[in-house]
Amino acid sequence: MTKMFLTLRKQHWAFPPEFHLPRLSLPHLNQKMIIALVILVPILLLTTFADWLPLQKPLQTNLRAIMQWPSHVHPFGTDRMGRDVLSRTLAGVQLSLVVGFSVAFIAMSFGLFFGTLAGLFGRAVDRAIMTVVDIFLAFPSLLLAIGLVSIVGTGLGPVVMAISLADVPRFIRLQRSLVLSLRSRAYIDAARTVNASQWWLMTRHIAPNTISPLLVAASIAAAHAILVEASLSFLGLGIMPPAPSLGNIIRDGQTYLEQAWWISTLPGVVILLIAISLHFLSDGIREALDPRARK
Amino acid sequence: MTFMPKIDDAVLQVRDMHTHFNTDTGVVKAVNGVSFDLRRGERIAIVGESGSGKSAMAMSLIRLLAFPGKVVSGEIRIAGKDITRLTERELNGIRGKDVGTVFQDPMSSLDPVMRVGDQMIPPIMRHLEIGQKEAQAIAIEWLDKVGIPDAKQRIKAYPFEMSGGMRQRVMIAMALSCNPRLIIADEPTTALDVTIQAQIVELLKNLTAETGAAMLFITHDLGLVARFANKVGVMYAGRLVEFGPATDIFADPRHPYTQSLLRTIPDTTVAKRDRLLQIPGFPPDMKMPMVGCSFRERCAAAHDYCKSSAPDLEFRTENHYAACWLPAGLDGGKTAEDDAPKETAKSASVAPPPRQDVLEINDLHKHFVKKSMLPWAEPRTLRAVNGVSLRLNRGETLGIVGESGCGKSTVARMLLGLEQPTAGQIYIAGAAQMVFQDPYSSFNPKMKVFNIIEEPLVVTRKGTRAERAEKVRSLVTQVGLDQSYLDRYPSQLSGGQRQRIGVARALALNPSVVVADEPTSALDVSVRAQIINLLCDLKEQLGISFVFISHDLLTVRYISDHIAVMYLGEVVEYGPAAHVFDDPAHPYTRALLDAIPSPDPAREANRKIQLISGELPSPLSIQTGCAFASRCPKVMAKCRESKPPIKAFSKQREAACHLVD
Repeated sequence: MTKMFLTLRKQHWAFPPEFHLPRLSLPHLNQKMIIALVILVPILLLTTFADWLPLQKPLQTNLRAIMQWPSHVHPFGTDRMGRDVLSRTLAGVQLSLVVGFSVAFIAMSFGLFFGTLAGLFGRAVDRAIMTVVDIFLAFPSLLLAIGLVSIVGTGLGPVVMAISLADVPRFIRLQRSLVLSLRSRAYIDAARTVNASQWWLMTRHIAPNTISPLLVAASIAAAHAILVEASLSFLGLGIMPPAPSLGNIIRDGQTYLEQAWWISTLPGVVILLIAISLHFLSDGIREALDPRARK
Repeated sequence: MTFMPKIDDAVLQVRDMHTHFNTDTGVVKAVNGVSFDLRRGERIAIVGESGSGKSAMAMSLIRLLAFPGKVVSGEIRIAGKDITRLTERELNGIRGKDVGTVFQDPMSSLDPVMRVGDQMIPPIMRHLEIGQKEAQAIAIEWLDKVGIPDAKQRIKAYPFEMSGGMRQRVMIAMALSCNPRLIIADEPTTALDVTIQAQIVELLKNLTAETGAAMLFITHDLGLVARFANKVGVMYAGRLVEFGPATDIFADPRHPYTQSLLRTIPDTTVAKRDRLLQIPGFPPDMKMPMVGCSFRERCAAAHDYCKSSAPDLEFRTENHYAACWLPAGLDGGKTAEDDAPKETAKSASVAPPPRQDVLEINDLHKHFVKKSMLPWAEPRTLRAVNGVSLRLNRGETLGIVGESGCGKSTVARMLLGLEQPTAGQIYIAGAAQMVFQDPYSSFNPKMKVFNIIEEPLVVTRKGTRAERAEKVRSLVTQVGLDQSYLDRYPSQLSGGQRQRIGVARALALNPSVVVADEPTSALDVSVRAQIINLLCDLKEQLGISFVFISHDLLTVRYISDHIAVMYLGEVVEYGPAAHVFDDPAHPYTRALLDAIPSPDPAREANRKIQLISGELPSPLSIQTGCAFASRCPKVMAKCRESKPPIKAFSKQREAACHLVD
């Protein structure tokens, strides 16, 4: 107690100890992660607080102000029904992010579980899991998603499911290869010599050492999922109008590209920014977690 | 620093060379003012621990440093040309032509997708300015000279079709093919087995004598230096601390570091077992500014003067220079050994307990069956272990030696239940635990040292949380580490400290047998001595039996009571360590012993060495006769027909050879 007091003595005059604020330290942030956050955080804040912004509601039309140039009232302009493109874009981004992060989460959890099983147990378990995985990997992911959506129907749930279905096999494969390379490490052998259970090996040795490459892959998968959702909606298979999604906003605008370029272009730029920032994030995570790249 | 006169026939002259690596976290001063000369036909060895800057120094000579590295000042003259002032293009004319290079790892220094010939011929054509046909003839001639059988055919082989020893021969042929004046060899034999290492060293020695090329040889193996070099440079913290003729340096070392290094090697000539000298502490951080002598913190003879100023390399006797304020180094002063308690050497004289086997292996076999993808092809059987029987007494150490691929590690894995034997039995009274070879991969990088040592206790549900914590604390003290290390991650520890943690983990369950698979091969010499001393102490304190597996015969001899020599999955000789070493019965044991160089140039010069030729035959093929027949210098007709069983030829010793009866 005295020691703590001594170290804080200099600040004592400015702040009494009980109000002393710990300095916010971000030791793991590197340059790439900062770039990613500088783009992502404002977008996240804007989408989260979109309702409080002085903007027209996403679904509200105004036929007296159709296809207007970007201005201070409508920063991204308006579309053919006089709806505010910025507020629609923000609603679309919200949906995109939900799709992106749920797909990343689903793909990662399934990948972690089945990939570890396949890699650690080998033999019949491995063969069974990998056969299914290989069948799914044989289809182009967009086609698989289109096929599934046309069976199950459109909307947020089916879209997430369809994209996850294409991503889960990739994650299983990735996790399996990571487990295989870890399986012959000496610390696994050391645990085996004391008869550690498979569950112990999985939770104590394998999962903690594979989580970081999976996180890297997950942030790329999130970016990819956002693009696939946009593509599906663009094709009219994802989120149905009038509900806004980045894909269907761009689709609406492309007819009027010559008269009102902003309807398609500005949401397109937003997709680009999100995808780029997620890639930066994944690079940043990899750098922070991989001691070899840190040098 | 011009302490040496300019010599006319110098191939290489280095003056006050400094090499820095500009990393993100600071400037690493890898080489801090190195000066020396190398004449025609001379072989100089540069020795030092890892991190001493010896490789950076060698690569600086031809400016082949990895990215952030740069020669910042000094002068390097090869055949009169100043390397530091040449352009990259001019340098390429020198590399390969005037300077040949042999790298450490033969597995990665040849391009795997190019045939050997395609890698050899273009440099010869360019440097000697001759045509394809002549170049090919030269390449074949060199491959033949370095001992590649059937060179005309093998020049068309890919690197993966060759063994490590063969690839290193190819590297040497490439380095020598343009008749360079200087050859730089960076640990050329470290990745190879002892018998192959001896062959390669002989080859390099003969070829340099033949062509008159000078050679700079980097190594950490003092024995090799004694066998090979005319001159020795000892490097520490980026500087040469001692330089002189090999015979002088070994007979009369003057720098405390050299003196300590020479004492860390187990001496096989005396039967008495003294503790090995261990050099305390670590090499300095090369990012920090250096004030005073860089070795002072580990030096027993250091005094106040060493703190303020660093000694220069100064004349001692003829051609012998040392960088120490004391003319005789440690000699006459106090040594680190004097500080170490000596009680262990005395306690060894206690009467031996009655014989009690803790480990018994009977006719152990392990065959790996490799099925082919094609259903009609015969599955191939790899006989890794082929009938091994061994016994181990309580409190004793059994050393298992042999080249890589002889099955010694497979035996270890079966002892621990990591592999199931194909046939045979293993009886262990109590439990067996293992100390692994590589201290870098044997710990989960995400676990703290405390959890690493605690793991076996948790897995086997021993004790309460508090009892386990108590046990872990006592274990870590037992292996000679401070309890504050428990809170660290493995990446924050040095190689020696990690290996101590490995020992602590192995001891957690109070095993009766500890299997140590090459526990010191990844460590520096000074640290190696610490670990060997630790194992010896534990053996005496706890009465644990050790199975010590290694290819380092000096260490095995030092630590073991009995030795088993393995060849192709079989034990060919077994007996008390001293007897096997002093009077080997099996020709293979003799060949192994001949292959290890002893750290004494005078003895090396007089030694009659009979090297075995060839390499380990494939364990996939089945021989009818003796497994060693293909390489044995004393092979008879009988050896190819019938296999000699292992049998006792005296009270304590066994061998598998027709010559022993």
